[in-house]
Amino acid sequence: MTVPRWCYRASMWWRSLGQSAALDRELDEELQFHLDQLVGAGLARGLSPEAARREALLAIGGIEQRKEECRDARRVRFIEDVLQDLSYSLRTLRRAPGFTTASILTLTLGIGTTVAMFTVINGVLLRPMPFPEPDRLHLVSLSPPGVLMSQPGMSDRGYEWFREHDRTFQHLAAFTTHGGNLTGAGDPAVIAVGHVTSEFFDALGVPPAVGRTFMPDDGQEGREQVVVLSDHLWRIRFGADGAIVGKQVTLDGIGRTVVGVMPAGFDFPHLAAAWTPLVIRLDPGNSLLFPVLGRLKPDVTVGQARAAFDALLDALPDAPPADRSGWTIGILPLEELLVRDVRRPLHVFAGAVFIVLLIACANVASLLLARAAGREREIAVRAALGASRARLVRQLLTESALLSAVGAALGILLAGWAVPLLLALAPAGRIPRMEMIRLDGWVVAFAIGVAAATAILSGLAPALRLTRRRFAGTLLPAGRPVIAGEEQVRAALVVGQIALALALLTGAGLMAQSFVRLRAVDPGFRPDNVVRLSIELPESVYAHPEQLHAFHQEMLARLSHVPDVVAAGVVNWLPLGDLHLNGDFTIEGPAETPRFNVDKPTVSPGYFRAMGIRVLRGRAFDEQDTASGLPVAIVSRTVAKTLDPAADAIGRRVSLKTRPGPQDWLTVVGVVDDVKQLGPSQASHPAIYQPYLQVQQRFFLGHVSYVIRTASEPLSAIPAIRNVLRAVDSNQPATSIGLMKDVVNAATADPGFDAKLLSTFALLAVILALVGTYGVIAYSVVQRSHEIGLRMALGARAPSVLWLVIRRTLMLGAAGVVIGTLVAWLATRLLASFLFETTPTDPATFAAVALIVLIAALLAGLIPARRATRIDALVALRHE
Amino acid sequence: MSRPTDLVQGTLDLLILKILALQPLHGFAIGQRLRQVSGNVLQVSDGSLYPALHKLEHDGWIKAEWKPTENNRRAKFYSLTRPGRRHLDKEAANWDRLSAAISHIVQIEEA
Repeated sequence: MTVPRWCYRASMWWRSLGQSAALDRELDEELQFHLDQLVGAGLARGLSPEAARREALLAIGGIEQRKEECRDARRVRFIEDVLQDLSYSLRTLRRAPGFTTASILTLTLGIGTTVAMFTVINGVLLRPMPFPEPDRLHLVSLSPPGVLMSQPGMSDRGYEWFREHDRTFQHLAAFTTHGGNLTGAGDPAVIAVGHVTSEFFDALGVPPAVGRTFMPDDGQEGREQVVVLSDHLWRIRFGADGAIVGKQVTLDGIGRTVVGVMPAGFDFPHLAAAWTPLVIRLDPGNSLLFPVLGRLKPDVTVGQARAAFDALLDALPDAPPADRSGWTIGILPLEELLVRDVRRPLHVFAGAVFIVLLIACANVASLLLARAAGREREIAVRAALGASRARLVRQLLTESALLSAVGAALGILLAGWAVPLLLALAPAGRIPRMEMIRLDGWVVAFAIGVAAATAILSGLAPALRLTRRRFAGTLLPAGRPVIAGEEQVRAALVVGQIALALALLTGAGLMAQSFVRLRAVDPGFRPDNVVRLSIELPESVYAHPEQLHAFHQEMLARLSHVPDVVAAGVVNWLPLGDLHLNGDFTIEGPAETPRFNVDKPTVSPGYFRAMGIRVLRGRAFDEQDTASGLPVAIVSRTVAKTLDPAADAIGRRVSLKTRPGPQDWLTVVGVVDDVKQLGPSQASHPAIYQPYLQVQQRFFLGHVSYVIRTASEPLSAIPAIRNVLRAVDSNQPATSIGLMKDVVNAATADPGFDAKLLSTFALLAVILALVGTYGVIAYSVVQRSHEIGLRMALGARAPSVLWLVIRRTLMLGAAGVVIGTLVAWLATRLLASFLFETTPTDPATFAAVALIVLIAALLAGLIPARRATRIDALVALRHE
Repeated sequence: MSRPTDLVQGTLDLLILKILALQPLHGFAIGQRLRQVSGNVLQVSDGSLYPALHKLEHDGWIKAEWKPTENNRRAKFYSLTRPGRRHLDKEAANWDRLSAAISHIVQIEEA
């Protein structure tokens, strides 16, 4: 069928579907014309007008009936064709249950994994954030050179400056979160509290459901004792009290007045359950970094905003102009805050499932080709009976479409089962915006699109090949199909499948390799047998450093008496913990202060022993390092090297202040090992430790973790440790308690999950490719059974027949391995940023994967090869 | 008993295409021409012509357009499309084969 005719027919379908009224009018006129002509002829023959009209109507045989027939001729034509194809397809598919099951199973796996991954990507990356005009929301950051920021943010000073002077954003809001202790409303609980400036809710553009949000006044010192609740918290803790506004809620021991409740579903940032005003207190010695978000004015572009910020940066107070050159301004979409860490992995997974889908399509195409060979007669007969080639192609495509449709339906079911499983297995926080992930209309539409694509991908080539044959010969009874071309197509499909599966397996192998190396990293401490207990002491109860010192002293004394405890210590920033703080430092003397930042942990004397951090030189802190003693510090190995590469660092003096006064100098008394503060894949952070009794800033003492080393199994010590906390202050809940080992495991959980997920996809790809290889080899054995039978009749032995088949498998496998290795060599560099101490072209991984795939392909060919040796020469020859 | 004027199914299409290959005509004229060229052997009822025409139009073998007749009335004229022409050739060849085969069989003398 020619293309123009197709277009023409499509337009006719369109007309009969969409413009039936106009068509009906035309039909009326056409029949009326005919009637008039008949009447005219009657009159000419001398009939009376009545008689002529009666005769004419009789001749037509009922106007309405004819009209209906004409309408049917149009309408039914289309539906009829489709229905005919469908019922024929159903019949042929039912007649080949093995083929049908294999195809549907393959497509279900391929489409199901693709749909599952799309469901996740749709929820995480594609759905807009639940705020009005989310495109205008941006994260604004300002980073001085060399300062490591765990997330984009800005100093309090910078924020104040830009909030005051910027004219490109409608609102600029700073925000942060912390775990707040909610008391007086059921059991004490730690809830996520958003600490936000008064512009926050206006910037996001979300009004409260009840009451109000924050006014500029609420952000003023002394007026911040107000709180906005989330809908969820309001329901579960306050019984959805309609008169909640004006009531008191106790958060971190402070009574706060509820001013409003947010609508259901609003929990930005980080699943916040309540929001309190963020008061910006400028401290001359320190500055705090917050994430800052802004809503661009409607007609302002990101580029214009960046230019405006650049101009303002030059006038930024309190920074020497010379230093500002390296400062960078970042304006990122707000979504980046959530999806930054997950976008690239999701892209990799999408690529992986796409490969699985391609392999599945190749499998089905291969099966269809094999089946086609058996249907040559049928097709030839139908062609001889007058079916046009287009009609035959359409018929065959209907078959593959039917398979794809069933595969897609089952695939959606598979995705419905796999997505929750995936989300349950993912480490906490690995997949953001989980609540947005669901099977919806978009997912179904995507599945339909994928099904259509697979139907064409897997069905078109076989259908075209099958109908291209010269039919004449096929009808002759003795004409055994001789199909060299098809053999090559199937071989190419197998090679492609093996190549793709190998490339994917190589990627997975590299990720696994990287994960193993990551797990082997020495974190600088020994996490086994260590319990950790984190706590946040509220300022309302523990306002003064002395109170905090007393609390910690009491805790440590009691903890050391718990049975089985070997050592107990306290630290403010736990390695691999959620919070992290670093800053600059100064070295006494003429040496230039190094331009790198150090961690500034505050620890108790027992900390190093409890954590298992090696003391390399000098001593650990002891009970004499109190407020009245000599101010001391312990430095990590890297800092010691900077202080004095050659000699001992002990006795040198450092300060954690930028412009230290005489009382700010700390004498180094010891050197300890570097610790992986941020994670095993990050470089060790240099650190300068201070004894907690010599630290007077509340900020360094209120948020702490206790680490307790036990002699034997640590889990059993946890109840006793909880009791210690309850005995010291029963009003303070632990923000978390657990094993240090779990913290270390959690730090490698994401790469572990990524590696496992990619390996799962790779495994699926390899299995599908092997099934494809098996199918092709088995089919070629069936096809060549005559030849093999002949060889055996002529004296060939089993081993040589075995070798005949194995050789073919090996050739296909080797071609696939070579091409796949090339593909992998080009593609794995995309993984470079995921790999830890593993090059994307790691020869060992490449070699191992190639060998595994080759052996697996060999095994897939072995079954049909053994079957070939059992071919009965007589039966095979008689088959002629 | 079958009436001799019954058309073998599908042959009406062939006849219509053949007649339209000569010149574009409206439905009434097609019916007249059919009777005329077959010497009134083939009787096509006026009613059954139209569903066949519409089906052929829908299949893209013929196309229709509204034009005035010699009496200056608007009528729907059908004409053969280019694919319709090829279709006609193929169908005509098929018909030749089929009718030749049938007449061959029919002419076999009974033993």
